[in-house]
Amino acid sequence: MKEMKLFLGPQHPGMHGNASVHMFVDGDIIKRSYLLPGMLYRGFEKQMERKLWVNNIALIPRVCVPEPDINEMAFASGAEKLLKLEIPERAHWIRMIILEFARISAHLMAYGGLGGPTGNYTLMYHAHADRNNILDIFEKITGARVYHQYIVIGGVRQDLPKGIEKDMHTFLDSLESRLKEYRDLGIDNASIIKRIKDTIMLPAEVVWELGVTGIGMRSAVNKAYDIRKVAPYARYDQVEFEVPVSDYSDARSRLDIKIKEVQQSINIIRQCLEKMPEGPVRVKPARGQSMRWTVPKGHVYSMVESSRGEFGYYMVSNGGTHPYRVGVRGASYPQGLLGIEKYLPGTRIDDAALWVDTMGICSPEIDR
Amino acid sequence: MNSMNNIERVKEIVEKVAKVRKFEQIDKFQIAFEIEKNDVHQTLSALKLAGWKQLSYLSAIDWIETSKFELVYVLFNWDEALYIQIRAMIEREAAEMNSIISIFPGAKYYEREAHEFFGINFPGNPDYHKQLILENWDDIPPLRKDFDPSVYSDRKFPKREYSVDYSVKDPENKSFEKIKEREKRALSLRTGGQKK
Amino acid sequence: MKSTKFTPVPLTKAETDKKWWEIGDFFRRNSLWLLMYCTGCCAIELPPAMTSAYDMERLGMGPMATPRQADILLVSGYLSLKTLRRLIYTYEQMSEPRYVVALGSCPINGGIYHDSHAVINQLDQYIPVDVYVAGCMPNTEAVMNGFVDLMDQIKHKRANGWKKYHENYSWYKANQITSLGEVDVHDEFHE
Repeated sequence: MKEMKLFLGPQHPGMHGNASVHMFVDGDIIKRSYLLPGMLYRGFEKQMERKLWVNNIALIPRVCVPEPDINEMAFASGAEKLLKLEIPERAHWIRMIILEFARISAHLMAYGGLGGPTGNYTLMYHAHADRNNILDIFEKITGARVYHQYIVIGGVRQDLPKGIEKDMHTFLDSLESRLKEYRDLGIDNASIIKRIKDTIMLPAEVVWELGVTGIGMRSAVNKAYDIRKVAPYARYDQVEFEVPVSDYSDARSRLDIKIKEVQQSINIIRQCLEKMPEGPVRVKPARGQSMRWTVPKGHVYSMVESSRGEFGYYMVSNGGTHPYRVGVRGASYPQGLLGIEKYLPGTRIDDAALWVDTMGICSPEIDR
Repeated sequence: MNSMNNIERVKEIVEKVAKVRKFEQIDKFQIAFEIEKNDVHQTLSALKLAGWKQLSYLSAIDWIETSKFELVYVLFNWDEALYIQIRAMIEREAAEMNSIISIFPGAKYYEREAHEFFGINFPGNPDYHKQLILENWDDIPPLRKDFDPSVYSDRKFPKREYSVDYSVKDPENKSFEKIKEREKRALSLRTGGQKK
Repeated sequence: MKSTKFTPVPLTKAETDKKWWEIGDFFRRNSLWLLMYCTGCCAIELPPAMTSAYDMERLGMGPMATPRQADILLVSGYLSLKTLRRLIYTYEQMSEPRYVVALGSCPINGGIYHDSHAVINQLDQYIPVDVYVAGCMPNTEAVMNGFVDLMDQIKHKRANGWKKYHENYSWYKANQITSLGEVDVHDEFHE
């Protein structure tokens, strides 16, 4: 049969975000494929060089849209490493709460996103309804639904509002009670289990070749390779949580790990609310100094475990008021670009959307 | 967890194959080596054999004052939790660096991106010269320091006009000059401290 | 006795057309299909609008996969040059009448990317825009309000962007060419 060209995206209901997978197909088997990124390119790294260290706080959440808080965390912690700044104890715990809520929201979005390629829209409706509750909690804490600009250099912008713990507990209890329902609707659902079981597998040998991190890696190599465990930041070394793993990476097991991670995140938030000390939440620069804030010379790579894998900022300061260079390591870079080129050939056309969804490919962070 | 022994071990490995110009410990989980350009490949393969199997990041920094590019390779070992930055300077004119995809296949797209944004050539990478993120780009590579995005933006994209409707009541009053001064300062902050 | 028999008043062609457009607009504004093309970050507020939290379907709106059957082109956020090429391509494929709703500050004046070398500053230079929803990013309520505004505009015959595109076609094309260089999509795949 003749080889045919086929697009998936950018305008396609099964595609997450504005990116395009170009495929050469024979029948319904993909022969060659590659991702065409760049449709969300905004010149981020150049923009950051032109803004003050403080002003960049407003810009960076926009790097990754479904989970903006990891950007703030990576940027702020990197700048703190350069400044050798110790932030207040309470700020660490608030940061963890925010990051874990962001992780739950990103996982719910990805898990609900399974509805697109498989036609299981009920799941999507449930997941987005719960995600909306998280956005409401974020709005109460930070004032914004999506882009919070809450984690700043030196701590967090303001303390948690009074009574928010009650809202959080209510939400966490309701979400925890619904997790079984999510499993029944999604990965344990007889009508789609055939669709997601044994499709688009990722063997353990390939992981190192591609450089995949996060859930894609942990589902294949059966080891707790999670930055929160191996190189803890914030106060992750003081909370108890497990890192779900598996040794057989197909679409189903990756989604299974996502749901298990939601459970772990719920546990982490509960522990944070319990162990969180009282006190100040931010080290502020002296009055009038915030626009003249200089950061000492140096190179630093600061990394955060996002819902898709290792997310890092490479930051260089030349001692001035502006960053000299900020490089963003998008967590979905390896699986998005190299994974689609090397690994998708041999699978079926409709599995491409499942790869994009379950490996967690976020096109804004590939393009920047 | 990772102790000083570990860092000593890495130092030994690197010093065996490369001339270390500078060593730096950034924090508990991160160290940096500045080495010569020619030693990069040997260092990376030695570290890969020692367990630093993951290439986390590859990019470049433009040091326009000394007319150099600095290439950065960040490696990570999941079992021993230590990030290693390997940095090497290359010339800015006709910048060239041999590709490392034989050691880390994952570097392919990072190198393509570095070529696109800095204009560094990577012989050995089969299609580093193809366009990846930009499309029909008609200027110097955008992440070089001598490229000014606001000039490019003014030239290419029409801007919405807003009327400036403040009035100067008293021409002797200094407030008009103050406004001008403030605008100038705002502009200088916005453009990264560079003069327009 | 007065006759109850209905005697039709003869209408001119223009008047008949006007009546049919009114009827058409009534149905059109109550069943708007919006094209699923997430051009930028404001698209993240669309899933809550579509699903049970805000339920767009009560306004008679739904997502549509193909541009040929969609009424609304939703520009959700900033437009990089690469996207703008594909957006114009999509816009020209849509059947008329077609409406454009632009979300966020970036299509209005560039927003936070006003001096970026990759993002355009003003969308209405390239394609006509009917409704702008300001904000970075606009709340779901604001997005919904934008759609209600569009319905109102259709009702009062003010949503005439697609007619403007016909009338000023050469002006729009000239602007597109100044900024993009080449409007047609040429990539490795199209060779």
